[in-house]
Amino acid sequence: MKKDTTDTSAIKKRSLFKTLLLCLPMMLLTFMMLSQGSIPTAGERLFALAVTFLFFNLLFFLMVRTGKTDRFRSILFITLAVVFVFSFISNLIAVRGSMALSQAHMIEGETPFCHLVIPMTIIPAAFTKTIIFPGKILGKYSIGGMFVIWIGVSLALGRGLCSWFCFFGGLEDGFSRILKKPIIKNISKKWTYLPYAVLLGIVLMSALTLSPTYCKWLCPFKTVTEYVEITSVQVLIQTIIFVSLFIGLVIVLPILTKRRTQCGLFCPLGALQSVTNKTNVFEVRIDQDKCIQCNKCIKVCPTFSIDEESLGRGSVKASCTKCGKCIDACPQKALFYHVKGTSLNSTFDRYRLLFLYPAFLVLAIITGGFMQDAIVKTIKLITTGTIM
Amino acid sequence: MEAFILGLSNGATCITYCAPVLVPYLLGEGKGILRNSVLTAQFLSGRLVGYLSFAVFAWGINRSIMQGVNKPDLIIGPAYIVFSLLLIFYGFFRTRTPCTTKCTTGLRHRLLTIWPGSLPIIAGLVTGLSFCPPFLLAFTGAMEKTTILQSMFFFFAFFLGTSIFFIPLPFSGLFRGFAALRIIGRMAAGLIGVYYLYSGIIMLIGGYTI
Repeated sequence: MKKDTTDTSAIKKRSLFKTLLLCLPMMLLTFMMLSQGSIPTAGERLFALAVTFLFFNLLFFLMVRTGKTDRFRSILFITLAVVFVFSFISNLIAVRGSMALSQAHMIEGETPFCHLVIPMTIIPAAFTKTIIFPGKILGKYSIGGMFVIWIGVSLALGRGLCSWFCFFGGLEDGFSRILKKPIIKNISKKWTYLPYAVLLGIVLMSALTLSPTYCKWLCPFKTVTEYVEITSVQVLIQTIIFVSLFIGLVIVLPILTKRRTQCGLFCPLGALQSVTNKTNVFEVRIDQDKCIQCNKCIKVCPTFSIDEESLGRGSVKASCTKCGKCIDACPQKALFYHVKGTSLNSTFDRYRLLFLYPAFLVLAIITGGFMQDAIVKTIKLITTGTIM
Repeated sequence: MEAFILGLSNGATCITYCAPVLVPYLLGEGKGILRNSVLTAQFLSGRLVGYLSFAVFAWGINRSIMQGVNKPDLIIGPAYIVFSLLLIFYGFFRTRTPCTTKCTTGLRHRLLTIWPGSLPIIAGLVTGLSFCPPFLLAFTGAMEKTTILQSMFFFFAFFLGTSIFFIPLPFSGLFRGFAALRIIGRMAAGLIGVYYLYSGIIMLIGGYTI
């Protein structure tokens, strides 16, 4: 039997003074990270820094003041994806004159390494002491750098990485918010196991072929970053596959289902990150006394991480990306961020704040550079007619 | 390496489909980890015998049919395509078990009446001879080998890959009823099937292996 659905918001709006006080550490941290210790003298750089700083801190202020997480996180997350794609592509065109990657570039180790490649490089590296990726070990966009960032973010956020760090996730998050209601509603539960199968499959195939199978064949995001120059039938087939996956999993299905289908039903890194959720201190819990089984959280979860069993258990699945969408949607405030090992009290907003500081800072740091770069290029485009 | 990976990708499926039929006996009979390990080893040796006999059969086909063909890829390629399509179908859509353990119950009962202590070995042998798509793909791969040793080694590597998943059995019967692992194993097998489908198409078109 369903319980009363009256909104019993436990977390009220904070006072302006208290909110400003709580936002102060984030203001200082973001200013330090964005300016990197020196205020730029060039006009457009200074403007970009100011806009980025104000944008970040306004969103954080609203998160703290209203108690809503995903509403404001999604704005920054989608912005990250857009500015990343814009900044990355424009850089490629400036340096290489094209998004296509030639064999010469790969031999010279000029392929940028992204976090999605991590699962398939670990096992061959452990067994053969070989990094099966044509990239640099150290430096900008390097293998070593990305590994360090990945370990750090995984320790801090677990699978929260997928909603607070991944510079691709915002694309499908954006597309999933276009329609007001989903057209495809019922997706079989068995497909939520597909990311684990993809992970197993690509790890095995990468070990067998000693090549980054996922990058070569499946990664949908090559469509909006860089891809191998089409010089053979094999590369043509690969291109058709990854472009189709991009259109299907990142554009069409998110629009139709209002879910992040690439993240929830395909991404092998997401599957690996689910394991890191087990060791991370932050989690999303469900207060069973407050829950009225309205199933709103199940309907809105972008990564299929809540089902009826979760409601009965009082905790979400390991695949939860801690985006906060279910928490925002719950009319009873029965879902809440929680720190493992502490008391289960859904009225405490302090757990959410404890999570928000590292999570937002990660998102702000990763977005900062790309956003400033995108603003500077846009100003150049408007004033000079070129972004170069 | 290729056979080992093929075995590894299908091991989870093998164990979740076939082992639960036998695990109650294996664990029920065993009085401790050591005894259970012996029973599991007997079961695995039965599987190995099954695999090696098919290795000999695959080599026989190579000697009798393949040697006389000008372009063996024209036979191996379509075989890869058919079996990989079966593997993809079996990975993503099939729900019924393909394991021969279920359909050989009568035979096993008769053998056990004559030789009661043979259950683990017989069970291993019949599960080893299950004509599931991964097994058929391994058979096709073994057919490509020119010597009997190469063919046997190929099946041995396939056996090793699938056997890794049997290691925890003596300890707890860990995978019994673990439905998620079965689904993941089947889907991974389906994805590996896509690789073989591509290999088959390339073989058929270009007459070369990637």
